[in-house]
Amino acid sequence: MSNEAGNRTTTTSERELLAAVVRRDRNAFAELYRTYQPRLYGYLRRFAANPVVVEEIVDDVMFVVWTDARKFRGKSAVSSWIFGIAYRKALTALRREGRYEAPLRRDVETADPRSGSQADIELIHAGLAGLSPDHRQVIELTYFCGFSYEEIAAIADCPVNTVKTRMFHARRRLKVLLPRLAGEKTEQGRDQV
Amino acid sequence: MTRYDVRSHEESIELLPWLVNNTLRGDEREAVEAHAKSCIVCRRELAELEALRESVQAASATVPAPDMRHINARIDTQLDRESRGRYLLEGLRDFFSSPWRAAFAAQSLALVAVAAMLMQSGTGEPQFRTLTTTESLPEGHYLRVVFDPSLEQATIDGLLADAGLAVAAGPSERGVLTLRFAEAADDADRSAVAATLRSDPRVLFLQPVATGD
Repeated sequence: MSNEAGNRTTTTSERELLAAVVRRDRNAFAELYRTYQPRLYGYLRRFAANPVVVEEIVDDVMFVVWTDARKFRGKSAVSSWIFGIAYRKALTALRREGRYEAPLRRDVETADPRSGSQADIELIHAGLAGLSPDHRQVIELTYFCGFSYEEIAAIADCPVNTVKTRMFHARRRLKVLLPRLAGEKTEQGRDQV
Repeated sequence: MTRYDVRSHEESIELLPWLVNNTLRGDEREAVEAHAKSCIVCRRELAELEALRESVQAASATVPAPDMRHINARIDTQLDRESRGRYLLEGLRDFFSSPWRAAFAAQSLALVAVAAMLMQSGTGEPQFRTLTTTESLPEGHYLRVVFDPSLEQATIDGLLADAGLAVAAGPSERGVLTLRFAEAADDADRSAVAATLRSDPRVLFLQPVATGD
């Protein structure tokens, strides 16, 4: 159960880097940028079709990190704080349907050959696209980014129970949207659930 | 029983997504796993969630190499704006660090305030004085006259003496003299004097004024 995009641990060095950013240390900021750019890009790419737009949003997120580093109070992990900024950007992206089209479907650059066919990948993304933005975020943050429910609560700035409730509804909705996937992958079929 | 006590199937099943992504705390994980071992519904749900996790993770975009040119440009702009603001503040602080400059600034501020008050009081009740205004003059006949400003006072005095006129008021800010006729002058005399002065190129303006009639 590895987390592809979610190397979540907030190390002391990340806090130190952020503290250095408060002091306008550009080397520290560059290190944070290099650390988070791949994770943020992967996460935000889930919601926006245009790679150039995704790069812009990543820069927007990291610019907020630069300008608002002093607002980090240390109550959550640095990664939760940064992904919280990205979460709000992603929500905006999801709600701006005109500009942000359906993400990662036929334009998937790479697919893990070990897990499922391209058709399955397209199917799962069609199912995810059918979820509400809040419900989809919980799925993506859990399974793509690998965050715990406490971290997701910090990212989405909501109670832990809200995260669990959103996940519950997202799962129920996905069962409706993705019966084929669930049926193929489970031994006993979803009808018994 | 583990320290984290899963009291119900509902509590267990709602934590399954995070059992799958391996982020439950140790005691939570043990409790949920223990429940799932004996719960066929949870085991089925686990299998579905594992399939979901694999599918979500299966597609991953190629991540471009970090390129900080744009964000560095934004940061440069922001820092430049900040430093300009700081420079202005420091300049003001330096300026006011001298007591003389501070006093000068305070005095200037006071002058501006007084000027503003005067302007405001001036606009409260407009007062106009035209060339024919006669409220402050005794009863009689007068001329409002403006001489060429290049004339010397002695020349003006000579002209007035020749015409039998005396200064009753002025000159005003605009150089208007109010001239009084000799007491003996009648209407014909006054008309003749006025006509003579009007014809003199050194008289720029002339206006007869009468009070008390």
